[in-house]
Amino acid sequence: MKPVKFSTFLFTMLVGLTFQLYPWSNTGIIIRPDFLLVIMIYWLLQAPYHCNIGWVWFAGLLVDLSTGSLLGQHALTFAVTAFLGLIYQRRLVLFNRWQLYLYVIFLFGAQRALILLLKLFAGGELPDWTYGLPVISDLILWQCMIIWFGELTRPKKL
Amino acid sequence: MLKGIHQQLDPQESPAFFIQGPKPFSRLMFFCTLSLVMMAVDARFDYLSQVRQWFSTALHPLEVLASAPNEWGRNINTYFTSHNQLIQDNFKLKQQALIDHAALQRLATVDAENVHLRTLLAGDLPIIPQATLGEVLHMGRDPFSNIITLNRGSRHDITPGQAVVDEQGVVGQITRVYPFTSEVTLITDKKLSIPIQIERNQLRAIAFGEGKRNTLDIPYLPTSVDIKVGDKLVTSGIDGVYPAGLAVAVVTQIKQSQDSPFAKIISRPIAGVNNHKHVLILKMPDTPAMNQASENRPVLPRNNAQHLDQSVVEVLQKNNAAVDPHPATETPVLDAAPASPDGGAAATPENTPATPEHP
Repeated sequence: MKPVKFSTFLFTMLVGLTFQLYPWSNTGIIIRPDFLLVIMIYWLLQAPYHCNIGWVWFAGLLVDLSTGSLLGQHALTFAVTAFLGLIYQRRLVLFNRWQLYLYVIFLFGAQRALILLLKLFAGGELPDWTYGLPVISDLILWQCMIIWFGELTRPKKL
Repeated sequence: MLKGIHQQLDPQESPAFFIQGPKPFSRLMFFCTLSLVMMAVDARFDYLSQVRQWFSTALHPLEVLASAPNEWGRNINTYFTSHNQLIQDNFKLKQQALIDHAALQRLATVDAENVHLRTLLAGDLPIIPQATLGEVLHMGRDPFSNIITLNRGSRHDITPGQAVVDEQGVVGQITRVYPFTSEVTLITDKKLSIPIQIERNQLRAIAFGEGKRNTLDIPYLPTSVDIKVGDKLVTSGIDGVYPAGLAVAVVTQIKQSQDSPFAKIISRPIAGVNNHKHVLILKMPDTPAMNQASENRPVLPRNNAQHLDQSVVEVLQKNNAAVDPHPATETPVLDAAPASPDGGAAATPENTPATPEHP
Protein backbone atom coordinates (compact mmCIF):
# COMPACT_ATOMS: atom_id res chain seq x y z
CA MET A 1 0.00 0.00 0.00
CA LYS A 2 1.63 3.16 -1.20
CA PRO A 3 0.58 6.38 0.49
CA VAL A 4 -1.95 8.29 -1.59
CA LYS A 5 -1.84 11.97 -2.38
CA PHE A 6 -4.53 14.11 -0.88
CA SER A 7 -5.34 15.48 -4.34
CA THR A 8 -6.04 11.94 -5.61
CA PHE A 9 -8.48 11.48 -2.78
CA LEU A 10 -10.25 14.74 -3.54
CA PHE A 11 -10.32 14.01 -7.25
CA THR A 12 -11.96 10.59 -6.82
CA MET A 13 -14.49 12.20 -4.52
CA LEU A 14 -15.36 14.74 -7.23
CA VAL A 15 -15.64 11.99 -9.85
CA GLY A 16 -17.92 10.05 -7.49
CA LEU A 17 -20.12 13.11 -7.06
CA THR A 18 -20.31 13.60 -10.82
CA PHE A 19 -21.48 10.02 -11.27
CA GLN A 20 -23.97 10.56 -8.48
CA LEU A 21 -25.33 13.53 -10.42
CA TYR A 22 -25.57 11.61 -13.69
CA PRO A 23 -29.20 11.57 -14.87
CA TRP A 24 -30.03 7.91 -14.33
CA SER A 25 -32.98 6.42 -16.14
CA ASN A 26 -35.64 4.35 -14.41
CA THR A 27 -33.90 1.01 -14.83
CA GLY A 28 -30.49 2.53 -14.20
CA ILE A 29 -31.48 3.80 -10.80
CA ILE A 30 -32.33 0.27 -9.65
CA ILE A 31 -28.80 -1.01 -10.18
CA ARG A 32 -26.91 2.24 -9.63
CA PRO A 33 -24.10 1.78 -7.11
CA ASP A 34 -23.69 4.33 -4.31
CA PHE A 35 -20.63 5.87 -5.90
CA LEU A 36 -19.69 8.24 -3.13
CA LEU A 37 -20.22 5.65 -0.40
CA VAL A 38 -17.99 3.06 -2.03
CA ILE A 39 -15.26 5.59 -2.80
CA MET A 40 -15.30 7.10 0.67
CA ILE A 41 -15.34 3.74 2.48
CA TYR A 42 -12.44 2.61 0.32
CA TRP A 43 -10.37 5.65 1.27
CA LEU A 44 -11.43 5.36 4.88
CA LEU A 45 -9.98 1.86 5.05
CA GLN A 46 -7.08 2.40 2.67
CA ALA A 47 -5.93 5.88 3.64
CA PRO A 48 -7.21 6.75 7.12
CA TYR A 49 -4.73 9.64 7.27
CA HIS A 50 -6.76 11.50 4.61
CA CYS A 51 -10.27 10.26 5.09
CA ASN A 52 -11.96 10.12 8.46
CA ILE A 53 -15.55 9.85 9.63
CA GLY A 54 -15.99 13.57 9.07
CA TRP A 55 -15.17 13.30 5.37
CA VAL A 56 -17.51 10.36 4.92
CA TRP A 57 -20.21 12.31 6.71
CA PHE A 58 -19.59 15.26 4.38
CA ALA A 59 -19.94 12.97 1.36
CA GLY A 60 -23.26 11.81 2.78
CA LEU A 61 -24.32 15.42 3.05
CA LEU A 62 -23.47 15.93 -0.63
CA VAL A 63 -25.64 12.93 -1.50
CA ASP A 64 -28.46 14.44 0.55
CA LEU A 65 -28.19 17.73 -1.28
CA SER A 66 -28.04 16.12 -4.70
CA THR A 67 -31.02 13.83 -4.12
CA GLY A 68 -33.06 16.53 -2.46
CA SER A 69 -33.88 14.25 0.46
CA LEU A 70 -34.06 15.36 4.07
CA LEU A 71 -30.76 17.04 4.90
CA GLY A 72 -28.68 14.79 7.15
CA GLN A 73 -30.29 11.43 6.32
CA HIS A 74 -27.55 10.04 4.13
CA ALA A 75 -24.94 11.88 6.19
CA LEU A 76 -26.03 10.03 9.32
CA THR A 77 -25.99 6.61 7.68
CA PHE A 78 -22.64 7.31 6.02
CA ALA A 79 -21.12 8.27 9.38
CA VAL A 80 -22.45 5.12 11.08
CA THR A 81 -21.19 2.95 8.21
CA ALA A 82 -17.79 4.61 8.44
CA PHE A 83 -17.65 3.85 12.16
CA LEU A 84 -18.56 0.20 11.54
CA GLY A 85 -15.81 0.12 8.93
CA LEU A 86 -13.24 1.59 11.28
CA ILE A 87 -13.79 -1.11 13.92
CA TYR A 88 -11.93 -3.67 11.84
CA GLN A 89 -9.77 -1.25 9.89
CA ARG A 90 -6.50 -2.33 11.55
CA ARG A 91 -7.22 -6.02 11.19
CA LEU A 92 -7.99 -5.82 7.48
CA VAL A 93 -4.46 -6.89 6.54
CA LEU A 94 -5.16 -10.28 8.07
CA PHE A 95 -8.31 -10.80 6.04
CA ASN A 96 -8.25 -12.82 2.88
CA ARG A 97 -10.06 -11.61 -0.21
CA TRP A 98 -13.37 -13.34 0.52
CA GLN A 99 -13.50 -12.21 4.10
CA LEU A 100 -12.96 -8.67 2.90
CA TYR A 101 -15.79 -8.99 0.36
CA LEU A 102 -18.09 -10.26 3.07
CA TYR A 103 -17.11 -7.42 5.34
CA VAL A 104 -17.69 -4.83 2.63
CA ILE A 105 -21.07 -6.35 1.70
CA PHE A 106 -21.99 -6.08 5.35
CA LEU A 107 -21.01 -2.40 5.36
CA PHE A 108 -22.95 -1.49 2.20
CA GLY A 109 -25.91 -3.55 3.34
CA ALA A 110 -25.87 -1.81 6.71
CA GLN A 111 -25.97 1.59 5.02
CA ARG A 112 -28.95 0.60 2.85
CA ALA A 113 -30.76 -0.88 5.83
CA LEU A 114 -30.18 2.26 7.86
CA ILE A 115 -31.41 4.59 5.14
CA LEU A 116 -34.45 2.34 4.67
CA LEU A 117 -35.14 2.59 8.39
CA LEU A 118 -34.89 6.38 8.34
CA LYS A 119 -37.16 6.62 5.30
CA LEU A 120 -39.70 4.32 6.91
CA PHE A 121 -39.69 6.51 10.02
CA ALA A 122 -40.34 9.51 7.79
CA GLY A 123 -43.41 7.79 6.34
CA GLY A 124 -41.93 6.14 3.27
CA GLU A 125 -43.12 2.80 1.99
CA LEU A 126 -41.36 -0.52 1.87
CA PRO A 127 -39.55 -0.97 -1.46
CA ASP A 128 -39.47 -4.30 -3.28
CA TRP A 129 -36.57 -6.74 -3.41
CA THR A 130 -34.71 -4.78 -6.10
CA TYR A 131 -33.75 -2.37 -3.34
CA GLY A 132 -30.91 -4.72 -2.39
CA LEU A 133 -29.48 -4.97 -5.92
CA PRO A 134 -27.14 -1.95 -5.68
CA VAL A 135 -25.07 -3.85 -3.10
CA ILE A 136 -23.89 -6.06 -5.97
CA SER A 137 -22.98 -3.11 -8.18
CA ASP A 138 -21.33 -1.54 -5.11
CA LEU A 139 -19.15 -4.63 -4.90
CA ILE A 140 -18.20 -4.35 -8.57
CA LEU A 141 -17.23 -0.72 -8.04
CA TRP A 142 -15.29 -1.76 -4.95
CA GLN A 143 -13.32 -4.24 -7.04
CA CYS A 144 -12.60 -1.48 -9.56
CA MET A 145 -11.29 0.74 -6.77
CA ILE A 146 -9.02 -2.09 -5.60
CA ILE A 147 -7.70 -2.57 -9.12
CA TRP A 148 -7.05 1.15 -9.58
CA PHE A 149 -5.74 2.11 -6.17
CA GLY A 150 -4.35 -1.06 -4.65
CA GLU A 151 -5.31 -3.96 -2.41
CA LEU A 152 -6.33 -3.54 1.19
CA THR A 153 -5.19 -6.99 2.28
CA ARG A 154 -1.56 -8.01 2.67
CA PRO A 155 0.16 -9.31 -0.48
CA LYS A 156 0.69 -13.10 -0.36
CA LYS A 157 4.47 -13.00 -0.79
CA LEU A 158 5.19 -11.43 2.58
CA MET B 1 1.88 12.45 4.64
CA LEU B 2 0.94 11.28 8.09
CA LYS B 3 -1.06 14.24 9.13
CA GLY B 4 -1.38 13.81 12.84
CA ILE B 5 2.15 12.72 13.58
CA HIS B 6 3.38 16.11 14.68
CA GLN B 7 0.54 16.91 16.97
CA GLN B 8 1.36 17.03 20.64
CA LEU B 9 0.00 14.33 22.87
CA ASP B 10 -1.41 15.05 26.27
CA PRO B 11 0.95 13.83 28.99
CA GLN B 12 -1.70 11.76 30.74
CA GLU B 13 -2.72 10.07 27.48
CA SER B 14 -0.71 7.03 26.64
CA PRO B 15 0.96 7.46 23.26
CA ALA B 16 -1.14 5.60 20.75
CA PHE B 17 0.41 3.56 18.00
CA PHE B 18 -2.14 4.80 15.51
CA ILE B 19 -2.71 8.51 15.72
CA GLN B 20 -6.18 9.35 14.55
CA GLY B 21 -7.05 12.58 16.29
CA PRO B 22 -10.26 12.21 18.27
CA LYS B 23 -11.44 8.65 18.85
CA PRO B 24 -13.73 7.29 16.09
CA PHE B 25 -16.54 6.83 18.56
CA SER B 26 -16.51 10.44 19.71
CA ARG B 27 -16.36 11.55 16.09
CA LEU B 28 -19.32 9.31 15.31
CA MET B 29 -21.30 10.76 18.21
CA PHE B 30 -20.50 14.31 17.10
CA PHE B 31 -21.53 13.77 13.49
CA CYS B 32 -24.60 11.74 14.42
CA THR B 33 -25.79 14.56 16.64
CA LEU B 34 -25.04 17.08 13.93
CA SER B 35 -27.00 15.19 11.29
CA LEU B 36 -29.91 14.56 13.66
CA VAL B 37 -30.08 18.28 14.40
CA MET B 38 -29.92 19.02 10.69
CA MET B 39 -32.70 16.57 9.94
CA ALA B 40 -34.88 18.13 12.62
CA VAL B 41 -34.17 21.65 11.39
CA ASP B 42 -34.72 20.68 7.76
CA ALA B 43 -37.99 18.92 8.51
CA ARG B 44 -39.47 21.61 10.74
CA PHE B 45 -38.04 24.94 9.61
CA ASP B 46 -37.12 26.60 6.39
CA TYR B 47 -33.58 27.73 7.31
CA LEU B 48 -31.74 25.21 5.17
CA SER B 49 -33.47 25.93 1.87
CA GLN B 50 -30.97 28.72 1.25
CA VAL B 51 -28.12 26.22 1.70
CA ARG B 52 -29.74 24.00 -0.90
CA GLN B 53 -29.98 26.96 -3.27
CA TRP B 54 -26.30 27.81 -2.94
CA PHE B 55 -25.29 24.22 -3.30
CA SER B 56 -27.43 23.73 -6.37
CA THR B 57 -25.93 26.82 -8.00
CA ALA B 58 -22.39 25.73 -7.15
CA LEU B 59 -23.05 22.27 -8.48
CA HIS B 60 -24.70 23.36 -11.71
CA PRO B 61 -21.49 23.06 -13.81
CA LEU B 62 -20.90 19.55 -12.48
CA GLU B 63 -24.50 18.65 -13.23
CA VAL B 64 -24.15 19.90 -16.79
CA LEU B 65 -20.95 17.87 -17.12
CA ALA B 66 -22.65 14.77 -15.77
CA SER B 67 -25.59 15.03 -18.14
CA ALA B 68 -23.37 15.84 -21.14
CA PRO B 69 -22.98 12.21 -22.36
CA ASN B 70 -26.76 11.77 -22.39
CA GLU B 71 -27.14 15.06 -24.21
CA TRP B 72 -24.59 14.07 -26.86
CA GLY B 73 -26.25 10.72 -27.30
CA ARG B 74 -29.57 12.39 -27.88
CA ASN B 75 -28.08 14.91 -30.29
CA ILE B 76 -26.38 12.19 -32.31
CA ASN B 77 -29.64 10.28 -32.35
CA THR B 78 -31.46 13.37 -33.61
CA TYR B 79 -28.82 13.93 -36.26
CA PHE B 80 -29.19 10.45 -37.68
CA THR B 81 -32.96 10.43 -37.66
CA SER B 82 -33.81 9.46 -41.19
CA HIS B 83 -35.27 11.82 -43.75
CA ASN B 84 -38.28 9.52 -44.13
CA GLN B 85 -39.03 9.67 -40.45
CA LEU B 86 -39.00 13.45 -40.54
CA ILE B 87 -41.34 13.58 -43.51
CA GLN B 88 -43.73 11.19 -41.80
CA ASP B 89 -43.62 13.16 -38.58
CA ASN B 90 -44.20 16.38 -40.45
CA PHE B 91 -47.20 14.89 -42.22
CA LYS B 92 -48.67 13.60 -38.99
CA LEU B 93 -48.12 16.90 -37.21
CA LYS B 94 -49.75 18.83 -40.05
CA GLN B 95 -52.80 16.59 -39.86
CA GLN B 96 -52.94 17.00 -36.12
CA ALA B 97 -52.58 20.77 -36.52
CA LEU B 98 -55.55 20.80 -38.94
CA ILE B 99 -57.73 18.89 -36.50
CA ASP B 100 -56.60 21.09 -33.62
CA HIS B 101 -57.25 24.26 -35.60
CA ALA B 102 -60.79 23.18 -36.29
CA ALA B 103 -61.29 22.44 -32.60
CA LEU B 104 -59.67 25.75 -31.65
CA GLN B 105 -62.03 27.70 -33.88
CA ARG B 106 -64.94 26.21 -32.02
CA LEU B 107 -63.15 26.90 -28.74
CA ALA B 108 -62.77 30.58 -29.58
CA THR B 109 -66.49 30.92 -30.17
CA VAL B 110 -67.39 28.97 -27.06
CA ASP B 111 -64.83 30.94 -25.05
CA ALA B 112 -66.24 34.26 -26.15
CA GLU B 113 -69.72 33.03 -25.36
CA ASN B 114 -68.59 31.80 -21.97
CA VAL B 115 -66.99 35.13 -21.08
CA HIS B 116 -70.10 36.92 -22.23
CA LEU B 117 -72.37 34.71 -20.14
CA ARG B 118 -70.16 35.02 -17.12
CA THR B 119 -70.16 38.80 -17.33
CA LEU B 120 -73.92 38.67 -17.65
CA LEU B 121 -74.08 36.69 -14.43
CA ALA B 122 -71.56 39.00 -12.74
CA GLY B 123 -69.25 36.07 -12.17
CA ASP B 124 -65.47 35.92 -12.27
CA LEU B 125 -63.75 35.55 -15.60
CA PRO B 126 -62.46 32.06 -16.27
CA ILE B 127 -58.88 31.57 -15.15
CA ILE B 128 -56.58 31.05 -18.11
CA PRO B 129 -53.11 29.96 -17.00
CA GLN B 130 -49.86 30.86 -18.74
CA ALA B 131 -47.58 27.99 -19.62
CA THR B 132 -43.83 27.49 -19.73
CA LEU B 133 -42.31 24.56 -21.56
CA GLY B 134 -39.98 22.48 -19.40
CA GLU B 135 -37.77 19.53 -20.19
CA VAL B 136 -37.36 16.56 -17.86
CA LEU B 137 -33.72 16.38 -16.80
CA HIS B 138 -33.88 13.19 -14.80
CA MET B 139 -36.32 10.99 -12.93
CA GLY B 140 -34.91 11.74 -9.50
CA ARG B 141 -31.88 10.23 -7.82
CA ASP B 142 -33.74 8.93 -4.82
CA PRO B 143 -35.53 5.64 -5.47
CA PHE B 144 -37.91 6.41 -2.59
CA SER B 145 -39.54 9.53 -3.92
CA ASN B 146 -41.69 10.09 -7.00
CA ILE B 147 -39.93 13.21 -8.14
CA ILE B 148 -38.77 14.40 -11.54
CA THR B 149 -36.42 17.31 -12.15
CA LEU B 150 -37.09 19.91 -14.82
CA ASN B 151 -34.66 22.28 -16.50
CA ARG B 152 -36.58 25.39 -15.45
CA GLY B 153 -35.96 27.15 -12.15
CA SER B 154 -36.35 30.41 -10.30
CA ARG B 155 -34.37 32.14 -13.06
CA HIS B 156 -37.28 31.33 -15.36
CA ASP B 157 -39.89 32.65 -12.89
CA ILE B 158 -40.92 29.25 -11.66
CA THR B 159 -42.35 29.24 -8.14
CA PRO B 160 -43.24 26.35 -5.84
CA GLY B 161 -46.84 25.23 -6.15
CA GLN B 162 -47.21 25.55 -9.90
CA ALA B 163 -49.03 22.76 -11.69
CA VAL B 164 -47.22 20.63 -14.27
CA VAL B 165 -49.14 19.01 -17.12
CA ASP B 166 -48.37 17.12 -20.29
CA GLU B 167 -50.53 16.89 -23.41
CA GLN B 168 -52.84 14.34 -21.80
CA GLY B 169 -53.28 15.51 -18.24
CA VAL B 170 -51.83 16.52 -14.91
CA VAL B 171 -48.33 15.25 -14.11
CA GLY B 172 -47.73 16.85 -10.73
CA GLN B 173 -46.81 19.98 -8.86
CA ILE B 174 -43.59 21.95 -8.46
CA THR B 175 -42.46 21.45 -4.89
CA ARG B 176 -38.92 22.79 -4.76
CA VAL B 177 -37.23 25.38 -6.94
CA TYR B 178 -33.52 25.83 -7.54
CA PRO B 179 -32.00 28.63 -9.65
CA PHE B 180 -31.75 26.50 -12.80
CA THR B 181 -33.84 23.45 -12.05
CA SER B 182 -36.99 22.57 -10.19
CA GLU B 183 -38.42 19.44 -8.63
CA VAL B 184 -41.85 18.14 -9.55
CA THR B 185 -43.66 15.83 -7.17
CA LEU B 186 -45.77 13.47 -9.26
CA ILE B 187 -49.47 13.04 -8.53
CA THR B 188 -48.73 9.40 -7.65
CA ASP B 189 -46.55 10.49 -4.73
CA LYS B 190 -47.88 9.70 -1.30
CA LYS B 191 -47.52 13.28 -0.10
CA LEU B 192 -49.52 14.82 -2.92
CA SER B 193 -53.28 15.14 -3.04
CA ILE B 194 -55.30 16.71 -5.80
CA PRO B 195 -58.88 18.00 -5.76
CA ILE B 196 -60.84 16.25 -8.47
CA GLN B 197 -64.26 16.02 -9.97
CA ILE B 198 -65.86 13.10 -11.73
CA GLU B 199 -66.39 14.37 -15.25
CA ARG B 200 -69.67 12.48 -15.72
CA ASN B 201 -71.60 13.81 -12.73
CA GLN B 202 -69.43 16.63 -11.35
CA LEU B 203 -69.03 14.87 -8.01
CA ARG B 204 -66.16 16.47 -6.08
CA ALA B 205 -63.52 14.51 -4.17
CA ILE B 206 -59.83 14.49 -3.36
CA ALA B 207 -57.43 11.95 -4.84
CA PHE B 208 -54.27 10.88 -3.01
CA GLY B 209 -51.17 9.35 -4.54
CA GLU B 210 -50.31 5.78 -3.63
CA GLY B 211 -46.58 5.87 -4.16
CA LYS B 212 -44.75 3.12 -5.99
CA ARG B 213 -47.88 1.47 -7.35
CA ASN B 214 -48.42 4.44 -9.69
CA THR B 215 -52.09 4.73 -8.84
CA LEU B 216 -54.34 7.24 -7.13
CA ASP B 217 -56.68 6.49 -4.27
CA ILE B 218 -59.96 8.31 -3.60
CA PRO B 219 -60.78 7.67 0.05
CA TYR B 220 -63.80 8.75 2.13
CA LEU B 221 -66.38 8.21 -0.58
CA PRO B 222 -69.38 6.17 0.66
CA THR B 223 -70.12 2.81 -0.97
CA SER B 224 -73.36 4.20 -2.35
CA VAL B 225 -71.61 6.91 -4.35
CA ASP B 226 -72.28 7.13 -8.06
CA ILE B 227 -68.93 6.15 -9.52
CA LYS B 228 -68.11 3.53 -12.13
CA VAL B 229 -65.01 1.87 -13.49
CA GLY B 230 -63.91 3.95 -16.47
CA ASP B 231 -65.06 7.27 -15.05
CA LYS B 232 -62.73 10.11 -15.93
CA LEU B 233 -61.48 12.31 -13.11
CA VAL B 234 -60.67 15.93 -13.90
CA THR B 235 -59.34 18.72 -11.72
CA SER B 236 -62.05 20.72 -10.02
CA GLY B 237 -60.04 23.93 -9.78
CA ILE B 238 -61.17 24.69 -6.24
CA ASP B 239 -57.66 24.81 -4.82
CA GLY B 240 -56.39 27.55 -7.09
CA VAL B 241 -53.35 25.45 -7.98
CA TYR B 242 -54.69 23.41 -10.86
CA PRO B 243 -56.91 25.04 -13.48
CA ALA B 244 -60.28 23.34 -13.68
CA GLY B 245 -60.98 20.61 -16.21
CA LEU B 246 -57.57 19.01 -16.66
CA ALA B 247 -57.64 15.23 -16.97
CA VAL B 248 -56.15 13.46 -13.96
CA ALA B 249 -57.02 9.78 -13.90
CA VAL B 250 -59.38 7.02 -14.95
CA VAL B 251 -61.08 4.84 -12.34
CA THR B 252 -59.81 1.28 -12.74
CA GLN B 253 -61.10 -0.56 -9.71
CA ILE B 254 -63.80 -0.16 -7.08
CA LYS B 255 -63.75 -2.45 -4.06
CA GLN B 256 -66.59 -2.51 -1.59
CA SER B 257 -66.03 -4.31 1.67
CA GLN B 258 -68.66 -5.19 4.27
CA ASP B 259 -66.78 -3.81 7.23
CA SER B 260 -66.04 -0.37 5.86
CA PRO B 261 -68.50 2.43 5.15
CA PHE B 262 -66.17 3.71 2.45
CA ALA B 263 -65.46 2.30 -0.97
CA LYS B 264 -61.88 1.67 -2.03
CA ILE B 265 -61.54 3.44 -5.36
CA ILE B 266 -58.35 3.09 -7.32
CA SER B 267 -57.56 5.02 -10.45
CA ARG B 268 -54.73 5.21 -12.94
CA PRO B 269 -53.19 8.53 -13.98
CA ILE B 270 -53.94 9.57 -17.55
CA ALA B 271 -50.79 11.60 -18.12
CA GLY B 272 -47.67 9.61 -18.90
CA VAL B 273 -46.38 10.28 -15.43
CA ASN B 274 -43.22 8.29 -15.96
CA ASN B 275 -42.53 8.61 -19.65
CA HIS B 276 -42.25 11.97 -21.26
CA LYS B 277 -39.57 14.41 -22.16
CA HIS B 278 -41.41 17.72 -22.29
CA VAL B 279 -44.02 19.08 -19.92
CA LEU B 280 -45.87 22.35 -19.46
CA ILE B 281 -45.55 24.34 -16.25
CA LEU B 282 -48.73 26.30 -15.68
CA LYS B 283 -48.75 29.64 -13.94
CA MET B 284 -52.03 30.84 -12.50
CA PRO B 285 -52.57 34.59 -12.92
CA ASP B 286 -51.96 36.55 -9.74
CA THR B 287 -54.89 37.46 -7.56
CA PRO B 288 -54.63 41.24 -8.24
CA ALA B 289 -55.25 40.58 -11.92
CA MET B 290 -58.39 38.72 -11.08
CA ASN B 291 -59.61 41.52 -8.87
CA GLN B 292 -59.15 43.96 -11.72
CA ALA B 293 -61.41 41.87 -13.86
CA SER B 294 -64.17 42.04 -11.31
CA GLU B 295 -63.58 45.53 -9.97
CA ASN B 296 -67.11 46.79 -9.80
CA ARG B 297 -68.79 43.53 -9.21
CA PRO B 298 -69.57 41.83 -5.93
CA VAL B 299 -66.65 39.64 -4.93
CA LEU B 300 -67.43 36.00 -5.43
CA PRO B 301 -65.35 33.03 -4.38
CA ARG B 302 -63.15 31.65 -7.13
CA ASN B 303 -65.36 28.67 -7.69
CA ASN B 304 -68.69 30.36 -7.95
CA ALA B 305 -70.70 27.32 -8.96
CA GLN B 306 -72.62 27.18 -5.67
CA HIS B 307 -73.22 30.88 -5.67
CA LEU B 308 -74.45 31.06 -9.23
CA ASP B 309 -78.10 30.67 -8.37
CA GLN B 310 -77.89 33.60 -5.98
CA SER B 311 -76.25 35.79 -8.58
CA VAL B 312 -78.80 34.65 -11.17
CA VAL B 313 -81.53 36.02 -8.97
CA GLU B 314 -79.67 39.31 -8.63
CA VAL B 315 -79.08 39.57 -12.33
CA LEU B 316 -82.66 38.71 -13.15
CA GLN B 317 -83.80 41.47 -10.87
CA LYS B 318 -81.55 43.96 -12.61
CA ASN B 319 -81.99 42.51 -16.06
CA ASN B 320 -85.26 44.23 -16.81
CA ALA B 321 -83.42 47.50 -17.04
CA ALA B 322 -80.20 46.14 -18.55
CA VAL B 323 -79.61 46.77 -22.22
CA ASP B 324 -78.52 43.56 -23.85
CA PRO B 325 -77.91 43.08 -27.57
CA HIS B 326 -78.62 39.38 -27.81
CA PRO B 327 -81.34 37.93 -25.62
CA ALA B 328 -84.22 39.15 -27.75
CA THR B 329 -82.95 37.19 -30.72
CA GLU B 330 -81.42 34.24 -28.94
CA THR B 331 -84.08 33.14 -26.53
CA PRO B 332 -86.80 32.58 -29.10
CA VAL B 333 -84.43 30.40 -31.15
CA LEU B 334 -83.75 28.18 -28.15
CA ASP B 335 -87.41 27.88 -27.40
CA ALA B 336 -88.40 27.26 -30.97
CA ALA B 337 -85.64 24.74 -31.65
CA PRO B 338 -87.60 21.53 -30.93
CA ALA B 339 -90.59 22.75 -32.90
CA SER B 340 -88.89 23.98 -36.06
CA PRO B 341 -87.70 21.43 -38.69
CA ASP B 342 -84.20 23.05 -38.75
CA GLY B 343 -83.82 22.78 -35.00
CA GLY B 344 -85.07 19.20 -35.14
CA ALA B 345 -81.91 18.21 -37.01
CA ALA B 346 -79.88 19.18 -33.96
CA ALA B 347 -82.16 17.22 -31.69
CA THR B 348 -82.18 14.00 -33.73
CA PRO B 349 -78.65 12.81 -32.89
CA GLU B 350 -79.69 12.77 -29.26
CA ASN B 351 -82.78 10.77 -29.99
CA THR B 352 -81.29 8.21 -32.34
CA PRO B 353 -79.11 6.34 -29.80
CA ALA B 354 -82.14 6.07 -27.53
CA THR B 355 -84.42 4.44 -30.11
CA PRO B 356 -82.53 1.14 -30.64
CA GLU B 357 -82.50 0.53 -26.89
CA HIS B 358 -86.24 0.63 -26.41
CA PRO B 359 -87.44 -2.14 -28.76
